[in-house]
Amino acid sequence: MAPSQATYAPTLAKLLKSLNGQDLETSIESLIFLLKRRQVKGDQCASATLHILLQVVAKAKWRNVDQLLDAVKSTGSRLVQAAPHEPVIGNIERRVLGLIRDEASEDRNADDFGIESVSDIQSLAPATPAVPPLRPGPTVIRAQTMPTVASLQASKSMFNLLSVGDTLDAYSTGASTPVSQPQAANTHALKDEVINGIEEIMDEVNTTGDQIANFADVHIYPEDYVLVFLPSPDVERYLIKAATKRKFTVLIASFDLPKGVPIDAQYPVLRKKLTAAGVKMIRLASNGLMAYMPRVNKVIFGAKAVFQNGGALVDSGCCIAARAAQEYSKPVIVLSGVYKFCPRDTSTQVSWAELGDPSTYINYEDGTAVDSFEIEDTTAEYLPPEFIDVYVTNLGPQTRDHLGSIMADHYKPEEMGIALHLGA
Amino acid sequence: MAIEGNKATAGGAPAPAPAPALSQAQSHTTAPAAAPTTAAASTSTPQLTPAQLKAKAKAEKAARRAQAKETKAIVAAAAAPAQDAKASKGGKGKQDGSQPQGKSLQSHRPSMSGRRPSVAIMEKDARSIIPECFSHLPMAKRVQTSQAHKDVHPAVLAAGQQMATFAIKDSISRLEATLLAFKKVIESYETPEGNSLSRHFVPHVLNPQIEYLTECRPMCFSMGNAIRLLKAKVNKFDINTPEDEAKEGLLEEIDNFIRERISLAEFVIARNASQLIQEHSVVLTYGRHRLVEKTLLRAKEAGKAFSVSIIDDPFEKDGQELAKTLGQAGIEVFYSPKLGGLGANLERADTVLLGAEAIFASGFLQAPAGTADIAVAATRSGTKVIALCETINFDRERISIDAFTYNEIDPESNSPESFRLLFDNTPVKYIAGVITEFESGTGNSPAQAILAILRKQEEPTIA
Repeated sequence: MAPSQATYAPTLAKLLKSLNGQDLETSIESLIFLLKRRQVKGDQCASATLHILLQVVAKAKWRNVDQLLDAVKSTGSRLVQAAPHEPVIGNIERRVLGLIRDEASEDRNADDFGIESVSDIQSLAPATPAVPPLRPGPTVIRAQTMPTVASLQASKSMFNLLSVGDTLDAYSTGASTPVSQPQAANTHALKDEVINGIEEIMDEVNTTGDQIANFADVHIYPEDYVLVFLPSPDVERYLIKAATKRKFTVLIASFDLPKGVPIDAQYPVLRKKLTAAGVKMIRLASNGLMAYMPRVNKVIFGAKAVFQNGGALVDSGCCIAARAAQEYSKPVIVLSGVYKFCPRDTSTQVSWAELGDPSTYINYEDGTAVDSFEIEDTTAEYLPPEFIDVYVTNLGPQTRDHLGSIMADHYKPEEMGIALHLGA
Repeated sequence: MAIEGNKATAGGAPAPAPAPALSQAQSHTTAPAAAPTTAAASTSTPQLTPAQLKAKAKAEKAARRAQAKETKAIVAAAAAPAQDAKASKGGKGKQDGSQPQGKSLQSHRPSMSGRRPSVAIMEKDARSIIPECFSHLPMAKRVQTSQAHKDVHPAVLAAGQQMATFAIKDSISRLEATLLAFKKVIESYETPEGNSLSRHFVPHVLNPQIEYLTECRPMCFSMGNAIRLLKAKVNKFDINTPEDEAKEGLLEEIDNFIRERISLAEFVIARNASQLIQEHSVVLTYGRHRLVEKTLLRAKEAGKAFSVSIIDDPFEKDGQELAKTLGQAGIEVFYSPKLGGLGANLERADTVLLGAEAIFASGFLQAPAGTADIAVAATRSGTKVIALCETINFDRERISIDAFTYNEIDPESNSPESFRLLFDNTPVKYIAGVITEFESGTGNSPAQAILAILRKQEEPTIA
């Protein structure tokens, strides 16, 4: 029974493989299913969301920008609601929405300026009047732009995008040129652009770990004692990269005790690679970390999300490491791709805490235990900004003060600072 | 003489029982160091016992040897059941090591010796795999009973094994086990011809016991304090004090000590601390500490309604036992299996009760690793941190800089790639107060006042 179940059990890999073959709704539903069952979590959420949104853009029926935005928004909100503890999903949705707005505005700007090149358009963007210009029948231009460098100025003209969308349509219909043909061409081009853009975001997500790792030897010095809490894939890459250039000692701490795995057999790949590079790895089988801190030079862990104020959503226990580091004035380095930057404020920190499965700790066989107390196993928690010294992103190391401008670069004002769907 | 006679008769009865076991062990090839003692025992049993009863003509060495063998037989019969009971009270997970030990004293020697080779191999490189930067710290190790000094008393052997295997873990339990074992040592002690108890007992009998215990696991401060006290008492005896009188005096001293410094202290601390628990408050504690448990139960008995938030150590899991006990006593218990989520737990709590293993002269708290994390976080979030500690755990000479000054390595998690320290140190500034059994009135004092308390106590107890 067990093997056959394993074969039919849905996984992310299978979902991604079947994306092209099945219809959109089925794909969305299966990802929601995976998210709800926590079979897709952490870093996987970003690329899974991107794949689904790509399908939305490619397959959903939309005839203008607004319909496309609506389609992406509704799909995104369903995914967010399936996994409200994964802010990355919302981030990706925002990025894609911003991308669509960018592409759409570029198309329209291009219309304004006829066949002028895109770079000209961008330089002229600040001068673009806020009022939608009257213009002749639309002509199509393929804008070759990087979605990530979309400037704030460009988005200015977009404030009117939604409000006047209908009048634009009305205007177009009233125009002397036949409507249907150029609009179809327009949406077609937009679709291509958006899909290209999403693929670029995918690239960014996939290369984030390596890009972060490039800064490893800047922060890790020879003979360092580096404390790592529950190493994420990003952190592992970072350490392995540093190990190619430096000789240091890694102290790995975590409270995780997978059943049946002896504690010193954890992280086999990381252990093998570090040992091969001559870097010592010590697995700390410890709950408290204060005791080791005098020996430690720096603390490194990965974030699940970084908020606007600089606080981070982290695996439970990272707070312990960060607090101990602060107590002994040791730097805390948080690794986080820019796609994990979440343009939201966190007024209630506790609400981010996520509880895990208590049966890991207490068995139902233990009746007295089940009856007599309540188990609260926190798996993720909010780390306030004052505990973090450096954020290492794929765009380089950052301080708290500059997170705001990075977020402004990556998200449209329309999507920033608002709780997208959780309030609903 | 009453004790003497008792011993002789008792010695006769159980003698046949251990004899086969011993010879069995001897025939076993894997019990090398046991051979000399057991060989001497089996060959000399019929001759020496009457000889000893008849006259005191034997050489001192032979007499001592005979005595060791004899008391082994007695105490094995007398103490083994008690130790078994004690062991079952101790830690749950790590008990496996102690049980064969308790049994081995009765009859299951071969099974014990069967385990030896693997243990011996493990011991050899146990220290070599400690990471270099922590290599200055001591670690408990399982000294085979056969390798112990021949003068080590069986009761002490048993206590040592229980400490090495962490069946007896916290400082007060270890102190109590040590003192009870020393009582057996004193009871079975006979001053050799031409010697006096006050001159002979400590260097020739007591010191080997202490050395053995220290080898099994580094002594905790309370043991050090008690042993100093005991030695001071022995030295006070006049050289001409009759042996019986001196022995009785020592036994009484130990009994008083256990009563005052352990039992009464526990009672007073629990009473004082329970008064600090307010109605409807939420008390946060870490792991399982005897004093904290007593305090909470006592507050419940006093009719207070409060809830307890227990943070556990996933590598020890002692807190589960506490959670069960409290839950069954009708206290509302929130159990958090690890330190993660501490922030949320602290927001709910208004008092943090921590049990201490020891307190340094500087007022720093030595407590199970993780305690400092909680104390710091609690103080930062404005929750008061109260430590509970008997004065016997105070040390007036040692001052720690950080957790690497005085600490122990956990032998259970010491493998080539994993490592764990047993304790951490909590700086004074993160402890709002220490509750001790001392002081008239409430017995609460700031941690900095430890030295002052000791000075005020000033009796020769901790001199």
